[in-house]
Amino acid sequence: MKGYELFARTLKDLRLGPVFGNPGSTEIPMLREIKDYVLTLHDSISVGMADGLAQYTGTPSVVNLHTLPGVANSMAFIHTARLNRSPVVITSGQQDNRHVYYDPLLSHDLLSLVGDAVKYRYEARNAEDIERSLKRAAMKSLEPPMGPVFVSFPMDVMEEESDYLGLAWKYPNTALVDMNEVEYVAKCIEEAASPAIISGSEIDAYGSMEDAVNFAEKVGCPVYAEPLSSRAGFRSDNHRFAGDILPATTAMNMLLMKNDLILNFGGDFTIYPYLQSPLLPGKKVITISLSPSFRYGEFITGHPGLFMRELTKIVKPKGDFQRPEDLSTGSAAARERRTMGVNFVLQKVRKKFHDYVIVDEAISSSVAVRKNLGYRDRSYFTAKSGQLGWATPAAAGISMKNPRVLEIIGDGSLMYTVQALWTISRYNLPVKVLVLDNQGYSILKSFSTSFYPGVEKAPFLSFKTDIVKISEAFGVETREGDESLDELDWLAEGETARVLVVHVDRSIPKLFF
Amino acid sequence: MKVLIILPPFLPVDDIRKIIRQILPDGEILTSTDFTEHNAEVLVATTFTRIDRNLISRLPGLKMIQISSTGYDNVDQDAVKSRKIMLCNIPAANKESVAEHVIAMALAHLKNLIHFHNEILKGNWPVLTNSMDLAGKTFGIIGMGAIGRKLAERLLYFGTNTIYYDPVRLQEEDEEFLGLKFYALEELLAKSDIISLHVPLTPETRNFIAGKQFNIMKDGSIFINTSRGEVVDEASMIKAIQSKGIRAGIDVYTQEPPDFSSDLFRLDNVIFSPHIAGVTVESQQRFITETVSNVMKYVQGLQPLYRVL
Ligand SMILES: Cc1ncc(C[n+]2csc(CCOP(=O)(O)OP(=O)(O)O)c2C)c(N)n1
Repeated sequence: MKGYELFARTLKDLRLGPVFGNPGSTEIPMLREIKDYVLTLHDSISVGMADGLAQYTGTPSVVNLHTLPGVANSMAFIHTARLNRSPVVITSGQQDNRHVYYDPLLSHDLLSLVGDAVKYRYEARNAEDIERSLKRAAMKSLEPPMGPVFVSFPMDVMEEESDYLGLAWKYPNTALVDMNEVEYVAKCIEEAASPAIISGSEIDAYGSMEDAVNFAEKVGCPVYAEPLSSRAGFRSDNHRFAGDILPATTAMNMLLMKNDLILNFGGDFTIYPYLQSPLLPGKKVITISLSPSFRYGEFITGHPGLFMRELTKIVKPKGDFQRPEDLSTGSAAARERRTMGVNFVLQKVRKKFHDYVIVDEAISSSVAVRKNLGYRDRSYFTAKSGQLGWATPAAAGISMKNPRVLEIIGDGSLMYTVQALWTISRYNLPVKVLVLDNQGYSILKSFSTSFYPGVEKAPFLSFKTDIVKISEAFGVETREGDESLDELDWLAEGETARVLVVHVDRSIPKLFF
Repeated sequence: MKVLIILPPFLPVDDIRKIIRQILPDGEILTSTDFTEHNAEVLVATTFTRIDRNLISRLPGLKMIQISSTGYDNVDQDAVKSRKIMLCNIPAANKESVAEHVIAMALAHLKNLIHFHNEILKGNWPVLTNSMDLAGKTFGIIGMGAIGRKLAERLLYFGTNTIYYDPVRLQEEDEEFLGLKFYALEELLAKSDIISLHVPLTPETRNFIAGKQFNIMKDGSIFINTSRGEVVDEASMIKAIQSKGIRAGIDVYTQEPPDFSSDLFRLDNVIFSPHIAGVTVESQQRFITETVSNVMKYVQGLQPLYRVL
């Protein structure tokens, strides 16, 4: 078989596809046998789509990038996939080995370029490498912490001959629980005065929501969602759910003031911005995770969901936490009606879209999105990196497996990868996009007001874009919402992509301590 | 960086100490100023502690003072200036509370609450009333700063016709948003059923509302002052209350505590409170949060907010 045939055959064997990409001359040789290809009009968008799809399915997805410029254009997205722990297999072309010595156009050391954004990187030396390196990369992508991997293929390798060997492959086993550690944690709970539980993104990623709920029911402690988690940490309609932990150390310490034991299942302590307070001083902190960061406290390596399942069997109840009923959402929504505040908009959204997958890049409204729409299993996704422009590609990727996807995005964020709307339209992806248009970078204004007052008035933080025209030009039906927000019904209708722009309150929210 | 926090002993100091240990480990809490010398760089205090030349001299390393309230009359500003110390306050964490207090006073008058309360305590059962609704009344706000705005926002839901005066007129879209109409001061006084004063005390606003202004007001209108006592000429106010049936809601006095032998306290259509409109459990919580966050900014090397010196 020729190299390019081996490439296609291996992807098929690994059940990897479609290939998301944006091609160049370097990749034309390797794409000759690829039938299932999704074109994105900026390289990075293909990584974002693959990231969304991989997170949603829990299995690897595949991308093909155009050597130096394509990989370089996608670097922020590859880093986001790393932080999202998203198993994306990234491939790219490389210049013909026979003249690489001359540094031809487009040539570069791609392995250095991808650097630490990926957990495995390799450049095929010959045709035999194609099958084995792709299989190794795919398996590696699923090893905890899951994440992107990279393989590049010189053009001449695609012309070489080799046999397809049908090498065995198997995705890594993650069902790891150390029973001694389960007993240890049970004892810590018993000895603690007031434990609190944090449930992190690994719980949703490994389908362990049921285990988390059963454990919480039995132990009776409050369950918080990991700070800035990239996906649902817990089921927010559960009475043990106590809300999100904010990433600021001061806020974290205030919230967990009374708790002497913090058990973190499958999450980590993401912090921003810098505040003087130390992280959780004087408390016992134990993290149970398949991918320990060893950043703070004690760590136990293991499957957090299965760990909870075992722990549930032996743990003694330690309280009966009931989340107090929150009566504020309804009245906040009603109050904000006249200002088109986000709580009003999101309560309306909740009525129509309560069973949709939410892809959140609402930035200054993200806390409100989480609060108003809540978490369910595989129902909430956001970029862990803080990078903008991720949501539209990711929502598009997820919509290939689930037609009920609502992306909620700021007008600023939409513009980073707005041409993803073209891919959505071209491939009839049923994404519903709600743009919260506050004419600028509201979160940066909020940050300025708190830490560098005056800058919020800078002209570079406010701007207008004609989103309706732009979006329609890419072929997606688009409307603007009026005060009634009746257009939300229109947005939900049918399995076709639609964009609704809502002009929301432009006053600066207080978001920082 | 050493942060010294001086608190009045009636606060739950042990609880506050626990909190401070979690969020500002370099903070030290004292309940008195009887130390001989302290190496603090930052001093946090309430208005209950006099910060005079003597105290400052015992803080040789002091660079910043944070007062955890709007007022900072307890600080000897000359002493602070001569040492080039930075002074910050926490303005307007109480604006919602003041706005609510004003509405409470207006409603108490309109609904005759004090009268009914007293009658019932006397064993009477009054059946006649001239109680009124707040809805439909013309509410005049003098001074459209942070508190004036909060008041205007809340009044929207009470169905008043709200008008305002301020030396600096709002942008048209802000007026529209708050449903406000601008009038010159005299016109506002003449039109309003209820008047609430929200101006700072400056040389220009001393006795800002005096005989002439009271004369313009409607007979029987309600006049509420939660700003500063000196902004109103107290003698003229007493006269207006007696002669024009003006009903007053008074939270602030030219002298505090006031001279209780004053005629003011012989009037029966006045509701008093002890300069406390801005003090609620919630506003105190907001003051604490804002104080901690501002001190942390300074300690981290950022410019703190609300610098007054
Ligand atoms: C790729 C990238 N560029 C710039 C930023 C910096 N940044 C963070 S938030 C933000 C503003 C987001 O604006 P918008 O999406 O309109 O949301 P809003 O803050 O108005 O709610 C910017 C520019 C970033 N995070 N990522």
